[in-house]
Amino acid sequence: MKLLKKGAEADIYQTTWNDSKAILKIRKSKSYRNPTLDSKIRKHRTIKEAQIISHVKSFGVLSPLVYFVNTKDSAIFMQEIPGTPVHDLPNSKIIKLSKDMGKLVGTLHKNGIMHGDLTTSNFIFYKNQIYIIDFGLSQNSIKPEDHAVDLRLIKEILNSAHAQIMQSSWKNFLLGYKSIVGAIKHAQILHLVSEIESRGRYATVV
Amino acid sequence: MLGLGIESTAHTFSCAVIEKKGKKGKILSDVRKIYHPEDGEGIHPREASRHHIDNSSIVLSQCLEEAKISVKDLDLVTYAAGPGLGPCLRVGAVVARSLASFYKIPIYPVNHAIGHIELGKLLTGATNPLVLLVSGGHTMLLAFLNKQWRVFGETLDITLGQLLDQFGRSIGFASPCGRNIEELASSSSNYVTLPYSVKGNDVSFSGLLSATKSVAKENKSDACYSLQETAFAMISEAVERALSFTRKKELMIVGGVAANKRLSEMLKDVCKRHGCKFFVVPIKYAGDCGSQICWTGLLESQVKSGVSIKDTFVTQSWRLDSVKVDY
Repeated sequence: MKLLKKGAEADIYQTTWNDSKAILKIRKSKSYRNPTLDSKIRKHRTIKEAQIISHVKSFGVLSPLVYFVNTKDSAIFMQEIPGTPVHDLPNSKIIKLSKDMGKLVGTLHKNGIMHGDLTTSNFIFYKNQIYIIDFGLSQNSIKPEDHAVDLRLIKEILNSAHAQIMQSSWKNFLLGYKSIVGAIKHAQILHLVSEIESRGRYATVV
Repeated sequence: MLGLGIESTAHTFSCAVIEKKGKKGKILSDVRKIYHPEDGEGIHPREASRHHIDNSSIVLSQCLEEAKISVKDLDLVTYAAGPGLGPCLRVGAVVARSLASFYKIPIYPVNHAIGHIELGKLLTGATNPLVLLVSGGHTMLLAFLNKQWRVFGETLDITLGQLLDQFGRSIGFASPCGRNIEELASSSSNYVTLPYSVKGNDVSFSGLLSATKSVAKENKSDACYSLQETAFAMISEAVERALSFTRKKELMIVGGVAANKRLSEMLKDVCKRHGCKFFVVPIKYAGDCGSQICWTGLLESQVKSGVSIKDTFVTQSWRLDSVKVDY
């Protein structure tokens, strides 16, 4: 088993499942965290992730196939998507793909799913299609406020990690999002995004 | 080069003198007077500003005396222009303007939050860190990119400092309450489940505050312990997320809450996991002080020649990610 990535909350290994390549995602216990809190978080997220990662396929969002879930060790065996995270693609490509990412997020929201951790590392570009990964913070939610939290996060990431292309990328993202959720919902969510931003510390209230 | 820094954004009125030679800075003096509200109460901006007015001349003369210099030796004057409490900010600005116009010294308005970061870098030697700024006014994760500090995560409502202070005051402590809470927390190891709210790289503390207040009715030490464990685990997780996203190899904590030992311990563990160097600003300079302002002004003087008196603003809301950093 080869360690691919020490992620923020889980370690990602390359392994095999029934003779085909697979990913093992283990949420290891964290020594700094209180044990009660630690096991609660790990178990809850493992179950949520496994559920939602499969559920999103039913409305056409691409995500890894789940092979096996072990709640005792907070481990998930899943399909490997051997593509490139959007985060690592050239700027011009990211701008182009932003529209598709917006569409995908719109589709999630339309079907009552909040992703909870929308960063450009969690979109994988593979064979000309985009897969979404990492559903650990996902929730079943139709609350506009939750959907706005999703959009605010990806906006924050574009504004920090992809500052040079923020304008065009965010514009494309919203175009894609709007084409799925419709103009009314789009306007409502964007309004909530600025409301959340204005609640932030020392925000410039426009 | 000799600079004077004046800090008056909140509780603290402070003046400091730093001597800058090349890239190196030496703090010659750093004098502070801190306004203390009554136990169980928060800062009152007007009362705090009166405290600052009463103490400004004593602090200034003591600061010059300890540095063994006179006003005429100063090459520049800097003051914290925001973010902070309006009445308090104005006191520092007035002192700075008076000195600058009477003695004809160049004047620099400085962003208080950047002050925390720049002094942290000077004192710890961190070169390209992910910064965790935790204080009464801020809870932010920042990294430097394209001449600006960019926010990779922050609180969506109240800050970590406010969480600790507001909870502490509700059980009768005097702010800042961090140390009292830490002491009481160490007498318990009974974890009561509290709301844990991490949204991507961001955190939200307001629900945690209300829930902890109700736990405190049953048992204060359990409440302190559980509050610290939950809030700091949330911060640690946000840090882990930002570290793995930015791939930084250094973490630096600055701000008043950096003095908390339990928080440092948890973050040290995070750094070990990610093979990352860990820096904490020395406790003496974790809280607000003139040195933070002075050092940032000195850095700015490398590329700017100061502003004219009519442009010496103060602003209560001044986000650090809107400041261009050219030095």
